[in-house]
Amino acid sequence: MQAKIFTLSLAFLFITGALSAQTKSLVTAEDSLNSGLSKSATTIGGYGNAFYQRNNFQGTSKLNLERLVLFTGHKFNDKISVFSELEVEDAKVTGGESGGEIAIEQAYLKFNLNPNQYIVAGLFLPRIGILNEDHLPNTFNGNERNYVETFVLPSTWREIGIGLYGNINGAPLNYSVGLVNGLSSGMFTHGTGIRDGRFEGRNASSNSLAVTASLQYYMGDFKAQVSGYYGGTANVSKRKADSLGLSSGIFGTPVAIGEGDIQYSHGGFSMRALGTIVSIPDAAAINRAYANNTPKTEYGAYLELAYNLLYKAGTRNDKQFVVFVRDEKFDINASIPSNGITDETLNQNHIVAGFTYLPIRNVAVKADVRLIHTGVQNPELIINPNPVALPYQQNNNLVNLGVAFSF
Amino acid sequence: MLVGSLASCGSALPAYKTAVADNKVSVPETLFAASDFQLIQPKGMYYNIGLKKEKDGTYTALLLRCTHADNQLTPTGNGFKCTLHGSAFDNEGHVTQGPAERPLKKYPTQVESNQIIIHIS
Repeated sequence: MQAKIFTLSLAFLFITGALSAQTKSLVTAEDSLNSGLSKSATTIGGYGNAFYQRNNFQGTSKLNLERLVLFTGHKFNDKISVFSELEVEDAKVTGGESGGEIAIEQAYLKFNLNPNQYIVAGLFLPRIGILNEDHLPNTFNGNERNYVETFVLPSTWREIGIGLYGNINGAPLNYSVGLVNGLSSGMFTHGTGIRDGRFEGRNASSNSLAVTASLQYYMGDFKAQVSGYYGGTANVSKRKADSLGLSSGIFGTPVAIGEGDIQYSHGGFSMRALGTIVSIPDAAAINRAYANNTPKTEYGAYLELAYNLLYKAGTRNDKQFVVFVRDEKFDINASIPSNGITDETLNQNHIVAGFTYLPIRNVAVKADVRLIHTGVQNPELIINPNPVALPYQQNNNLVNLGVAFSF
Repeated sequence: MLVGSLASCGSALPAYKTAVADNKVSVPETLFAASDFQLIQPKGMYYNIGLKKEKDGTYTALLLRCTHADNQLTPTGNGFKCTLHGSAFDNEGHVTQGPAERPLKKYPTQVESNQIIIHIS
C-alpha cells in the first residue's frame, strides 16, 4: 500500500512539476519571440475502413464498416495540447443487441517540455509493437490488422496513465516510458489471451499498475524497436486477492511482455518483422480463481515483404500499387499451467497475400487472401456441442476486398 | 542524403543550440564543414529546425513540426517521422506517408558574414 501511494505521489509530482515548468516558461522572452509559432489551433482528422469478407469454409460473406474514427486535437499553445479519438466499430451500436462498439480510443493532454521531450497524461496508446501507434488503415497492408498484434499484443491497447516520450539529443534514438493502470486477470477469457483484461479507460481499477518502456533506433532505411510491459493483474483489494489465492500489490499476479521489431524501406521495397512473447507466471493461480484457462506463455511473430510496383527511382509518385505477402505465426496457448487445458486451435499460422492500391497516400483500395492453418481441436473443450455445427477444420481461407482512408 | 549516411553508420546527428533574436536564428557556416545537415535547436522553441546545405551552396531550413497535428518530428536518417499518427516526410519536407497532406514549413535563409540567417516567420 505504501509502495502504491509512493508511486502515485511520484506520478502526481511528475505532472505537477511539468505543469509548473510550463507555467514558468510562459513568461520568458523566448515566448514572445515565438509568437508567430505559438498559435492555438484545432485539428480534425480521422480514419476508417470497410471491407467485404468471404469465409470459404463457412460459406459465408459479410460487408462491414469496420471502423470510423474521428480525431480531434487542440493546441492551446506550443506547449500544451489535447488529443482525442472517438471510434465507432461495426457501424452502429443498438441497445439490447450485441455487436458494435463506441469507444474513446485516445484522450490525453500533451505537454511539450522541449523540442525532444513531451509528457502525455490521460488515455493513451503505449508504444508497444508497431500497430499500437501506427494503425491508420491506409498505412498497413491487408484489410484486417495483423493477428499477432491483435491477439498476442492486444492493439489498439490504450490505458489511463502518464508517459514520457523523447529522443536523445543528437542521436537517432527515441525512448518512451509509461505508467498506466494494470490489466484484470479476472476479465481474461479463454482464446483471447490478455485482450479482454484491458480496461481501456472505463472505470479502470488502479489496484494494479503497469510500466511500459521502449527504445527505437533509426539506421538510415532501417528502424528497430524493442519494447516491454510489466504490470499487475490482480486488481482487487488485498483481502479479496488473498481469498482468491492471488498475489496482490501493484505488480501482483503479473503479466510481462517483451517485443522487438524491425522495419526496412528502400526504393519500392519494404519489410517489417516483429516478434513478441507474453508471460503470465501466475497463470495457475488465475485459473484457480477464475477458471478462465489462462496460459502461462503466448508468443507471436510475423514477417511481411512488400514492393511498390509504381516506384520509379528519382521521381515522386503519390500513387502506389503495393503487392505484399505476410507470414503470421502465433500461439495464444504456447504453454499452460498444470490446471489448464491445451487448446491447439490457438496455435495458428496465417499466410496473407494481396495488394494495396493508393491513388493518393490517404486513400487505399485493398485486396487480400488470408490462408489459415490451426492445430487440432481438443474435445475436452467442447462442453455443449452444437448438433448442426460443421466439424472443425484446421484449414480455412478468407478473401477480403475493401477500402480505407485517413486524413 | 548525408543525414542518411550519418544515421546509417550510427553516428550522432549534429545538434546546434542557439538563441532567437529579432525573429532570426543565426548559425555559423563552419558547422557545415563536415556535414550537409544540422539540427538547430532555437532556445525557447518547442520544435527543432532541420538545416540542410544544398549542392548549390544555399541552405534549406525546415520546421520539424508535423503538418497534421503539430507534433514534433524525429529525424530518421532518410527524413522525418511523426510518432503521433505515423506521418513521414522526406529530407525535402515532402510528405511520404499520411495522414499529413501538406509539406513541412520552410523558413527563408540567407548568408551574411559567414553566418546563416534563418528568418522565423
